[in-house]
Amino acid sequence: MENKQSSSPASFVDSTVVPGDVVLDLSSMTNQTIKLGGGLRQDCDAISATKAGTLRFSKPNKYWIESSQKRYVPCVEDTILGIVVDSKADNFLIDIKGPAMGFLPVLAFEGGTRRNIPKFEVGTLLYLRVVKANFGMNPELSCTDASGKAAEFGPLKDGYMFETSTGLSRKLLSSPACPVLEALGKKLSFEIAVGLNGRVWVNAASPDTIVVVANAIMNSECLSGAQQIIMVDHLLKNIQ
Amino acid sequence: MEGRLANSWRLTVNDKNFIKTALLSEIRIDGRKPFEYRKISIKFGREDGSSEVQLGQTRVMGMVTAQLVQPYRDRPKEGILSIFTEFSPMADPSFEPGRPGELAVELGRIIDRGLRESRAVDTESLCILASKFVWAIRIDLHILDNGGNLVDAANIAALAALLTFRRPECSLGGEDGQEVIVHPPEIREPLPLTVHHLPIAISFGFFSNESILVIDPTHNEEAVMGGRMTTTVNANGDICAIQKSGGEGVPQRVIMQCLQLATSKAASITKQIKDAVEVVNTERALRKVKRHPTSTGVDVREKQN
Repeated sequence: MENKQSSSPASFVDSTVVPGDVVLDLSSMTNQTIKLGGGLRQDCDAISATKAGTLRFSKPNKYWIESSQKRYVPCVEDTILGIVVDSKADNFLIDIKGPAMGFLPVLAFEGGTRRNIPKFEVGTLLYLRVVKANFGMNPELSCTDASGKAAEFGPLKDGYMFETSTGLSRKLLSSPACPVLEALGKKLSFEIAVGLNGRVWVNAASPDTIVVVANAIMNSECLSGAQQIIMVDHLLKNIQ
Repeated sequence: MEGRLANSWRLTVNDKNFIKTALLSEIRIDGRKPFEYRKISIKFGREDGSSEVQLGQTRVMGMVTAQLVQPYRDRPKEGILSIFTEFSPMADPSFEPGRPGELAVELGRIIDRGLRESRAVDTESLCILASKFVWAIRIDLHILDNGGNLVDAANIAALAALLTFRRPECSLGGEDGQEVIVHPPEIREPLPLTVHHLPIAISFGFFSNESILVIDPTHNEEAVMGGRMTTTVNANGDICAIQKSGGEGVPQRVIMQCLQLATSKAASITKQIKDAVEVVNTERALRKVKRHPTSTGVDVREKQN
């Protein structure tokens, strides 16, 4: 077992690691800068995993651990779907499926001033961006992008929202497009908003399209690309 | 307070409106039709009297145990049947550990009424010595996952567990025939309970627009519906119990429609339970058959030489 740890770091990339595994040994890589993403921690010369999942590497020097959970841990610059729970004087309290409520300042909208504060009733679904996410504090959210424009953030009307795992949300947002979305898009027309916190919103003209899209996405988590396409064909045949 | 708010499950305004709009065109969010039941899967544990039922995403585990106790004074010749429910916090964020809430008590009462009032379990056969010793059957129902419609799933779990439960055989002995000897299962085969019929609980959900009716509501539908009703019927068409606590009013013809639907569903669910129990009983019986230790295979080739 000791031999494996001193061999090249490529041996751990794309394989499953558990917390405590030493995935990189810096003493064998001098004069290199590497960037550590989520789930990795540096202890002097050893990089060890703190999350269970798959170790990923992207050129030139980024390492991170990818895992799929039902719980969401807020990260800066994530786009998420939140539900309004309460409105206070300065913030809206938003439920983002994380350990704490998110705060959305009432002025964090394009052209937002004290005179035109939007009124959201409890239960409104919003598409938001995470601005600040520190351990122990409530994350701060915003309905604008980094330059202050609205850019599709804000309340979502009609449609249907369902919950998924964080891994499935990331797959749906990956490029090239996820096979299930491509297969559905060829036959049906629908609108979709994916939150990295494990929430997906679908809207279409007729209710049965929405139901088919929602069920197809929920079923596609454990299937490979080819299986997803077969599953979608099967579902579409049952409606027509 | 904020910590607890962060953990509860919420329904958006979009979902509420969508569920109601979709039902107007007879579509439910999991693709079922309004009068379609979810898939039921019944599994059994290694011990006699333990069952696990999965109804869609709802999971309930049932466990039956028995103990010799003194009977109630006003019923000296009858055994005792009691039901305990435990809503585990892992089933739903709103379930708290400790004392059962209103929902847990209501669920226990519906199942209890279905079994007791209809005399599905024969309590008189549980009496060993009148006024002294009777069997007290205790059914424990653990809710493992709440995907909607806990009552129906818990009822099926209770029935499946009762049908596979075996109580030890006992006989009277001692000097004056007043002592009860309980025989261990290795000496005398344990006996099944006498269950006359299977009362199946079927739940309905009512929605306010155009008095729409659905059978077997899911978790989302339960949060949106205006009223619910649970009818307990058996495969013979007897109505064992009806429960409608609060919620919006429904006209009489809707109640009659529900009862007719329930009777037709009860027949298929009864068959499913009986088939599953039959499979398990045959498997257990085969395991108990003792093979003769001296029987060995005979090599035929030797005889040819």
